[in-house]
Amino acid sequence: MDSDPAETPKSPSEGPAVYFDGMSSRRRAVTLRLADLVEIREDEQALATWAYADIRRVDSPAGTLRLSCQTASALARLEVRDTALTAELVSRCTRMDDNAPGRRGVAAIVGWSLAAAVSIVAVVLFGLPLIADRLTPLVPEAFERRLGEVADSQIKTMFNAKTCDNAAGQKAFVKLVTAIRESAGLDTSVQSGVLSSSIPNAFALPGGKIYVFDGLLAKADNADEIAGVLAHELGHLKHRDSMRGLIRDGSTSFLIGLLFGDITGSSVLIFGSRTLVTSSHSREAETNADGFAIDVMHRLGRPAKPTGELLLRVTGKESKGLSIISTHPLSEDRLTRMSREDQSASGPPLLTSEEWRSLKSICNGKSDSAKKPDSAKKSGPAKI
Amino acid sequence: MNQMSWTPLGPPVPPPSPVPPPMPVAFSGSRSEFFHLVKRGAALELVTLGFYRFWLLTDIRRHLWSNTLVDGDAAEYTGRGKELLIGFLVALAILVPIYLGYFLIGLEAEHYQAFASIPLVVFFYLFGQFAIFRARRYRLTRTVWRGVRFWMSGSGWIYALRASLWGLLSAVTLGLALPWRTAALERYKMRHSYYGDLQGSFEGRGWEFFKRGWWLWLLAPVAMAVYPLAPFIYGAFKAVEWRWWLSGIRFGGVRIESSLPRSALIGLYWKVIGWIVVLGLVFSAYLGLAAALVASMSGEPFAEFFTSQEFSKSIPLLALAGIGYLAFALAMNVVIRVYLMRDLWVRVLGSVNISGLEAAADVAARGDMANALGEGFADGLDVGGF
Repeated sequence: MDSDPAETPKSPSEGPAVYFDGMSSRRRAVTLRLADLVEIREDEQALATWAYADIRRVDSPAGTLRLSCQTASALARLEVRDTALTAELVSRCTRMDDNAPGRRGVAAIVGWSLAAAVSIVAVVLFGLPLIADRLTPLVPEAFERRLGEVADSQIKTMFNAKTCDNAAGQKAFVKLVTAIRESAGLDTSVQSGVLSSSIPNAFALPGGKIYVFDGLLAKADNADEIAGVLAHELGHLKHRDSMRGLIRDGSTSFLIGLLFGDITGSSVLIFGSRTLVTSSHSREAETNADGFAIDVMHRLGRPAKPTGELLLRVTGKESKGLSIISTHPLSEDRLTRMSREDQSASGPPLLTSEEWRSLKSICNGKSDSAKKPDSAKKSGPAKI
Repeated sequence: MNQMSWTPLGPPVPPPSPVPPPMPVAFSGSRSEFFHLVKRGAALELVTLGFYRFWLLTDIRRHLWSNTLVDGDAAEYTGRGKELLIGFLVALAILVPIYLGYFLIGLEAEHYQAFASIPLVVFFYLFGQFAIFRARRYRLTRTVWRGVRFWMSGSGWIYALRASLWGLLSAVTLGLALPWRTAALERYKMRHSYYGDLQGSFEGRGWEFFKRGWWLWLLAPVAMAVYPLAPFIYGAFKAVEWRWWLSGIRFGGVRIESSLPRSALIGLYWKVIGWIVVLGLVFSAYLGLAAALVASMSGEPFAEFFTSQEFSKSIPLLALAGIGYLAFALAMNVVIRVYLMRDLWVRVLGSVNISGLEAAADVAARGDMANALGEGFADGLDVGGF
């Protein structure tokens, strides 16, 4: 039955092929003889024999059947172009496609991916808030203060803002803050200040620091309005809301980044510090801080309703679609709550009208140079 | 589509050596098969929230490799998606603590000066170059031709250091040093690349690259001002780069020559841009339709609905927009893979001639497979290649 390649018979049991032994790149024109085993012969000489059960299909261009053998060298290859021989080999090698991934392989990938996605989403929705709650009390105050200092310098750079400290205004501000702080039961480690920026805003930083922007003072009509805002921010400090938010939001972004295969994201640090600055507290934290503010104001014998009115004045009717506010309850709702739980004033005013005027003009002193109304008026998030 | 879709581009180069003549490289893959592959892959990527990318990338490489015929014999890609997944997970295990450390160091730096932590990004540049080198090593060791694999020696960190120093020089010279940077890095990579016991080398010179591309460097600022020019300039630059790079590759006595014309790739970029515009229009029309539908269901007059807050917070509208956006992104992926991977591959291959192939006729197999860690880093750091 031996034949030379020139007159290869087209019988299914024998045919031409190309053989690479996996040891060298030599291309050998061989004859395949299909008996109990596949015999690979070159010029009468047997080069190798492959068992049908060990033969696997590997990638090939269209029109070529390329085979490997599990017991031969890993890269030994047999290439068959003869269609009759190809058909015969396919029918004899029953386990040819065992290595191909197939439908089940794809189903496994899809299934495990979905499982991974579900578990990451579950961790983000339920696990992280829990972890943040448990972890926040364990974070040392010193570390939190350091975070606060970082955020502090970034905020001042971002808003191009300076601390306002004209003497009379500062005196009035300290008086106001002290009254609220004592009523709120916080110690003297709380730092506070007014920043020269036209954005009507106020916020709390981790590590016990609260800031009011000059823009908010400008919009306020009386001391009670500002007092409620300060009490609200102190509520955040007391509950360490920014630390909790940082842990929660930082790990959320990290996990989501993992899910979509982008562990760099927009750099965890940049995200983290942005989180520090904007500190997107959840509605729940905001509602708690509002409750805290109402309590503090009542203890001082002052009404809480003016603060709600100030909020509404700042944000306007929230039907205009300020999407950033969505981290907060609607101003209308907050005003409704503050009005509902309101009591009429029973205590003395927190500031005299003289002091209130000085507070309003706290940034009018020497710091004119810092007053730049162009600093991102439109992008200012209302963080009250 | 036709089965044999390899099309030679440009005039055939007159054979430089008398015997044997230079061998063109053929591509036998059908375009519709590739289209089906990436279409299905994109759908699976959506279903698996992106995890399928390891297997899709593997399938794309398997298709391109196994349809690339040199001297009548097709190459083979032996890598598998699972290897990429494992590489990614290992890279993750290494990168997570690094990120945490980076975060803490950054915090300390910010303590002294706002935004002082930004220079730390340099470290990640170094890491990215390391990833590029190691990912190349993985791909090369999974490339088999005539039963013998390609492989690589050399050190990823030394490469990263060289790449970073050259990168610094390029930045200082506003990109003028780029040709010499590319040439130097390519020399390092090719010197450490092997086909069996045949060592590679790179003969391209930075000066030649510069001569061919300096006018593009001059035009680059123009392209930034006049956007429609950018695809022309970028396409021409890529063609010049491909041609120069391919023409410098040697494996022992095997020499590669490319005759890719400057204009060869510009059409591809315009086709992609055209598709982006079309898909963008379809997406906008879809968004408009969805908004109109939701508005008409809310029962309010249109003008009132669009100015009200519900408009930006309407859950059905957000869901519809989200679905539309995903479909848009997937379609974009398919377009980019068909034109900028498959078609670009075919065009570039069509320009290639290989001479001295007899030197590779009896090469002894050597070299071990490298792990996919580099690919994992490349994925994690977003510096991936083909």
